Amino acid sequence: MIEFSSVTKYYEDDAVLKDVTFTIDKGELAFITGPSGAGKTTLLKLIYCDERPDKGQIIVAGWDIGKLKQKTIPFLRRNVGIVFQDFRLLSNRTVFDNVALALRIHYMNTSTIREDVTAVLKEVKLGHKANTYPQHLSGGEQQRVVIARAMVSKPTVLLADEPTGNLDIDNSQIIMGLFREINARGTTVLIATHNHGLFHGTGRRVFFIKDHSIEKEVIG
Amino acid sequence: MKAFIYSFQSVFRSLWHEKWINLLTILSVSIGLSLVTSFILLTINMDSVIQRWAKNFGLVVYLKENVSAAEEASLKNLFSRDSDIIEVKYISKELALKELRATLGANELILEGLNGNPLPSSYELTLKSNLLDPERVKRKASLIQHMTGVEEVQYGEKWLSSLYTISKTMKVGSIIVGGAIFIAITFITYSTIKIFFYRRKEEIETLKLLGATRIFIRLPFLLEGFIIGLLGGIVSSLVIFGIFSFTSLRVIEFLPSVRLFMASFPYQVYIIVPLAGAAVSVIGSLIAVGKIRY
Repeated sequence: MIEFSSVTKYYEDDAVLKDVTFTIDKGELAFITGPSGAGKTTLLKLIYCDERPDKGQIIVAGWDIGKLKQKTIPFLRRNVGIVFQDFRLLSNRTVFDNVALALRIHYMNTSTIREDVTAVLKEVKLGHKANTYPQHLSGGEQQRVVIARAMVSKPTVLLADEPTGNLDIDNSQIIMGLFREINARGTTVLIATHNHGLFHGTGRRVFFIKDHSIEKEVIG
Repeated sequence: MKAFIYSFQSVFRSLWHEKWINLLTILSVSIGLSLVTSFILLTINMDSVIQRWAKNFGLVVYLKENVSAAEEASLKNLFSRDSDIIEVKYISKELALKELRATLGANELILEGLNGNPLPSSYELTLKSNLLDPERVKRKASLIQHMTGVEEVQYGEKWLSSLYTISKTMKVGSIIVGGAIFIAITFITYSTIKIFFYRRKEEIETLKLLGATRIFIRLPFLLEGFIIGLLGGIVSSLVIFGIFSFTSLRVIEFLPSVRLFMASFPYQVYIIVPLAGAAVSVIGSLIAVGKIRY
């Protein structure tokens, strides 16, 4: 589902990723970890084509990221749900509207949007907060809204960049539980985190990035 | 279609949410369009006056004293076949003298001492009014001047030249003023849409990450520009109609001669002005939104 073949990425003259090669299989849940500045976020950005590789090849759900045309990028992103550490929720829209945005871009009709958004909000246990504005939610709740927004369009790949970075242990467990549920339905999930507690004992593959390269691959 | 429905919902939300800045833009656009339309209507009216005057414009071709009947007939034939000439009128020597007597009226006594009829016969040629370019008329006069049997060709050269200059100046002025105001309107809409675009930058970035296409992101801004321009145009055409009606009803009452100058109100203004406003505003919006890069 995600294939990196000898990928190198420079920011100006500095390499942020050097000769990275790995594969995430369809329906897998995997982790990427490493210290801050190791290149985890850049790696995710390469997957959803916010950045392009300078060398090597990246294939995501059949799309060759290096060769993707500008006008095709939206169609890749519709297959890739993204969960950000800083949430990126729109403060002038309610929880419902924030989640609905992911369906409105598909020009879905109102009744389908209402049904799907209501269902997904129930799944993340936020059905009662549909008309609340994000700034009135806790960090854990906001992250659940972001996950709901990423899930609602049923992507084939879900990326999460430090999804529990701003959360306490309890909320982190809830978020991880949601990721497992999403994965259980067949969605490929890749989580970038520096929190080793998230993958310990999960039995999932973990890629360690050090000095901008994959240092090792272990089972968590 | 769904893209339009979604965009319209977004536009109406924005129009209401940003009502004051939108109202100000609509008013600015309508003022600009009113100025352009007024100038164009003024030009149309001036042109109508000029065309009216020009209808009576013609060349007088004086024939030689010894011109034969065959030469006269040949000239008449040439003039009749010329597509630039719409009317050919022959004035015989006798008729010329008769007309002169009629013109002099009580003063016809001054003709008493004349031996015979000194006036030449002539042709009065009326030219097509849309061909009244001084250079063209001059060439035509010169051409006729060299025809057999022609003594002299006369026409109001200076008058025609002045008329032509006024008409041309008005038209060029309309284009310059119109162009400048259209650029100004484009800039006004550009500024407004650019403000909206920056205010929604966070939303646009999120939409891009969610997989929104360029058209999905752009369309609401373009439609908003379209509606602003359209409303500005509608307000403008109402203002112009108001001014025109006032001029027709009130000013003619005090200055009846104005009626002679006024062309009828072109009702196409109701369609053209709002559409022009909308088109120019969409151009401003397009520039404001620019290229969306992922």
